[in-house]
Amino acid sequence: MLEQIEGSHAVAKAIALSRPEVICAYPITPQTHIVERCAELIRVGAIRNCEFINVESEFAALSVAIGSSAAGARTYTATASQGLLFMAEAVYNAAGLGLPIVMTIGNRAIGAPINIWNDHSDSMALRDAGWIQLHAETNQEAADLHIQAFKLAERLSAPVMVCMDGFILTHAYERVEIPTQDQVDAFLPPYRPRQILDPSDPYSIGAMVGPEAFMEVRYLAHDKLLQALGVIPEIQKEFEDIFGRDSGGLFHSYRMEDAKTVVVTMGSLAGTVKDLVDDLHKDGARIGVISLCSYRPFPLDGLRYALRGASKVIVLEKSLAPGFGGVLASDVRMALQGVDTHVHTVIAGLGGRPITRKSLARMFARAERGELKDPHFLDLDLDIVRREIDNQRGQITAGPIAENILREIGPCTPKAV
Amino acid sequence: MSQQHPDVPFAVTLDVGSSLANLTGTWRTERPVYVDRLPPCNHACPAGENIQAWLAYAEEGDYEAAWREAMRDNPLPAIMGRACYHPCEGACNRSPLDDAVNIHAVERFLGDQAIEKGWVPAAGAAPTGKKVLVIGAGPSGLSAAYHLRRLGHAVTIREAGPVPGGMMRFGIPAYRLPREIVQAEIDRILAMGVDLDLNHKVEDIQAEMKDGGFDACFLAIGAHLAKRVDIPTPDAGKILDAIGVLREMDTSENPPLLGRRVVVYGGGNTAIDMARTAKRLGAEEAIIVYRRTREMMPAHDFEVEEALAEGVILNWLTTIKEIDDSGSFVVEKMALNDEGWPEPTGEFDTIEADSLVLALGQNVDTGFIAKVPGVEIDKDGVIQVGPDMMTGFEGLFAGGDMVPSERTITVAVGHGKKAARHIDAWLGGARHEPPPRHELAGMDKLNTWYYADAPKAVQPALDVVRRQTSFDEIHRGLDETNALYEARRCLSCGNCFECDNCYGVCPDNSVIKLGPGKRFEFNYDYCKGCGICAAECPCGAIEMVPENI
Ligand SMILES: Cc1cc2nc3c(=O)[nH]c(=O)nc-3n(C[C@H](O)[C@H](O)[C@H](O)COP(=O)(O)OP(=O)(O)OC[C@H]3O[C@@H](n4cnc5c(N)ncnc54)[C@H](O)[C@@H]3O)c2cc1C
Ligand code: SF4
Ligand code: SF4
Repeated sequence: MLEQIEGSHAVAKAIALSRPEVICAYPITPQTHIVERCAELIRVGAIRNCEFINVESEFAALSVAIGSSAAGARTYTATASQGLLFMAEAVYNAAGLGLPIVMTIGNRAIGAPINIWNDHSDSMALRDAGWIQLHAETNQEAADLHIQAFKLAERLSAPVMVCMDGFILTHAYERVEIPTQDQVDAFLPPYRPRQILDPSDPYSIGAMVGPEAFMEVRYLAHDKLLQALGVIPEIQKEFEDIFGRDSGGLFHSYRMEDAKTVVVTMGSLAGTVKDLVDDLHKDGARIGVISLCSYRPFPLDGLRYALRGASKVIVLEKSLAPGFGGVLASDVRMALQGVDTHVHTVIAGLGGRPITRKSLARMFARAERGELKDPHFLDLDLDIVRREIDNQRGQITAGPIAENILREIGPCTPKAV
Repeated sequence: MSQQHPDVPFAVTLDVGSSLANLTGTWRTERPVYVDRLPPCNHACPAGENIQAWLAYAEEGDYEAAWREAMRDNPLPAIMGRACYHPCEGACNRSPLDDAVNIHAVERFLGDQAIEKGWVPAAGAAPTGKKVLVIGAGPSGLSAAYHLRRLGHAVTIREAGPVPGGMMRFGIPAYRLPREIVQAEIDRILAMGVDLDLNHKVEDIQAEMKDGGFDACFLAIGAHLAKRVDIPTPDAGKILDAIGVLREMDTSENPPLLGRRVVVYGGGNTAIDMARTAKRLGAEEAIIVYRRTREMMPAHDFEVEEALAEGVILNWLTTIKEIDDSGSFVVEKMALNDEGWPEPTGEFDTIEADSLVLALGQNVDTGFIAKVPGVEIDKDGVIQVGPDMMTGFEGLFAGGDMVPSERTITVAVGHGKKAARHIDAWLGGARHEPPPRHELAGMDKLNTWYYADAPKAVQPALDVVRRQTSFDEIHRGLDETNALYEARRCLSCGNCFECDNCYGVCPDNSVIKLGPGKRFEFNYDYCKGCGICAAECPCGAIEMVPENI
């Protein structure tokens, strides 16, 4: 049924339809509405045979999830930002143990300075933990990806993060088609664990393994995620067959037919870019868009093929590797290894900085003219930055950069998102 | 493994493993050790009662076991629960939390239960064939007799008065200590086979010991000689002493005649008891005259309060100079000097009264004792004893009010017990070495967060009018429900009460539960010495001891 609904609540409904057996989470902005609604749905009996376990921290949340998943329960949790970092050790463990836990990330910046708004630093920080990482472009896709995530996780015995942009998606009201229980049941079979921790048939999991076997274990984890590159499109197809919608997959292509310039991006930003690209096409520009859904595993071959006709690639990303540059951009470059296509890195929207069509248009125009510096920071206030850098050079004892910048631009009330 | 579970992940799922081979206990620099510390109540009890232990039985509702535990140290719990000034409660760790455990009320409850149910002490040791003479049937003599009897000795008490009990009958008034209670607890001691000769004033200790064939003697004659001051008076019959009056209350048919207005001179507990007794005998006014200030009165504050509530008048910073020819009492006002001591002001006044009762303290009748060779009497007129309670004469021990110490029934009972143990050892040709005392379980050893609030159970009291006119007991006892409640307020300072905290918090599962009543043990193979158990033990029953490394 089509509903006008907050993104978080749409996701909670999708979780409910997926018949989880254990939900265990610790609230953190901007994920809170999701777990609150899940708890409510359990309380009112809308999710049956499911236990909501309250815990004291994110570390505990994922640790409990590991326990319940190992004991054979379909398990869900959610977090964001500092919460994800706090559970980092357990994040690796869940993957190492091959437990099909599904976790929502309400993508949010990481402090310090503390910031509650959206960028991708959090899930990027744990991109190598062995989880599958899917990024939603819209709230519809966010809801759909969760249903797919359980199937994917359980088919591969691997945990899945479904990443959705904090506030931009989690808190936005949009029209979302909420599937029926029959549809979901037809798509997602009951969880049949590969193994169950059972006191009557005991064994150990995750105990000490020495150098003689560790490399192999890691190789197998790598291989499993590479297998996912095949399974993800399969599931996308199965989903489309039942729900009649194209959701998920490795990436989405938009106006790629004769594109010379291709913008590669991830998450909700793709919507803005597509709208702009539509406008620019009216003026004869030949710009295509690829929005990545599966960041891990990374579809190297798929991208290389999709980008084969492009002469210029602009990677527009909400993450930064300080001292290096773009994170996504370097992955895209890896896909284009040996190909002589220029890959621009554009860092945008860190800590929730609005990404406007106007700024994007200006940036595209500069790229067209060959004037784009690499990496380019969209809408960076160069005056502040220059002053601060000069200041630092002058007196090393100057206070923390962030505070000095705030002083420069006056009392700052970040706009509500 | 792979045969049992063919499709499990490589090197992630493994055989049942155990980390028990890693004896992580070797990492330890400190080890937790279960200890029993000395609860402050036990420490403060002059009779050396193991209060916390009997409260623990009472807490379980096993009142008989609780009573038996108390009886190990004190043969008079029903008396003590009433008349003891309960220093235990002053020391109780519960005080700063809400209110001290009402220890004396629970003790009294146990004592009354025993009387009601007719519980008797367990049989003592086999007869030793030794005979001990006890002189004086006050609390000290009775306590010594009880403990000596339990140790298997034949005991004879010789008592000058017509009834046993000492100051428990001749001093402490019945409204605080009903006589049937005193008698019941004394009868229980006599029923153990203790001989009692009444109206037998001992004059020659050595002769009585020799004639009776006694191997040792415990002397506990108290302090019965009233101290006097010289107050000129035309009518000496008007001046009485409190000890004499109070004694008459118990021993003579007719209550003493004091008149309508009675002046009591002194500031101790005896003065208070005397004034309250005068009130009950019908005096319209009972006036206590005391030369220092109210704060300096040696009487216990709660007794002063009770007396004031009953209408007793307090006249402090006053001395009595004389009774003049018209029968008026001439008094002089005092004032505190710079050093805080009272000095005469030269300001005089008169009080009209029918009698003057002196309550200025008591001396020990040392006359016949001085004749015993080797016995030392110090300048305060009390008998010197060693740490083993023995006087300078071999085999003659002494305790209670007649030796230097605080004068209370509890101290007297404690002396009786202590003397009995030393006499027993001495009779066997040995020395009694008291076991070393445990470390005190002070407030700093507790984790009081774990204890719930629980206000103290209050004993019902008689209304003031009944108190002014009768000798009925003022305070009533606890009943079974609030006695149980009160016992449960005990924090069990320094002694494990099996709350399971250590068992629950140990991150290494190194606390082994031995079963109800058997407490716990540490598994030092795995205990890493983190000390969480010690930190989370509510009552300080775990100590961290450094390892020798
Ligand atoms: C009025 C008053 C109220 C008190 N109130 C309290 C109170 O509330 N709480 C408290 O703890 N303490 C109280 N005390 C103190 C307490 O009563 C005494 O400290 C305690 O009784 C001393 O015990 P004792 O066995 O040493 O001596 P006593 O109790 O004095 O007993 C000595 C006994 O020896 C007998 N005797 C004396 N000479 C001889 C002899 N030559 N031959 C044979 N027998 C002899 C006496 O007749 C007496 O029976 C009070 C004292 C008084 C006077
Ligand atoms: S709480 Fe209990 S053990 Fe502690 S001092 Fe008070 S009565 Fe004694
Ligand atoms: S924690 Fe509880 S069970 Fe453990 S020693 Fe202390 S009182 Fe006993």
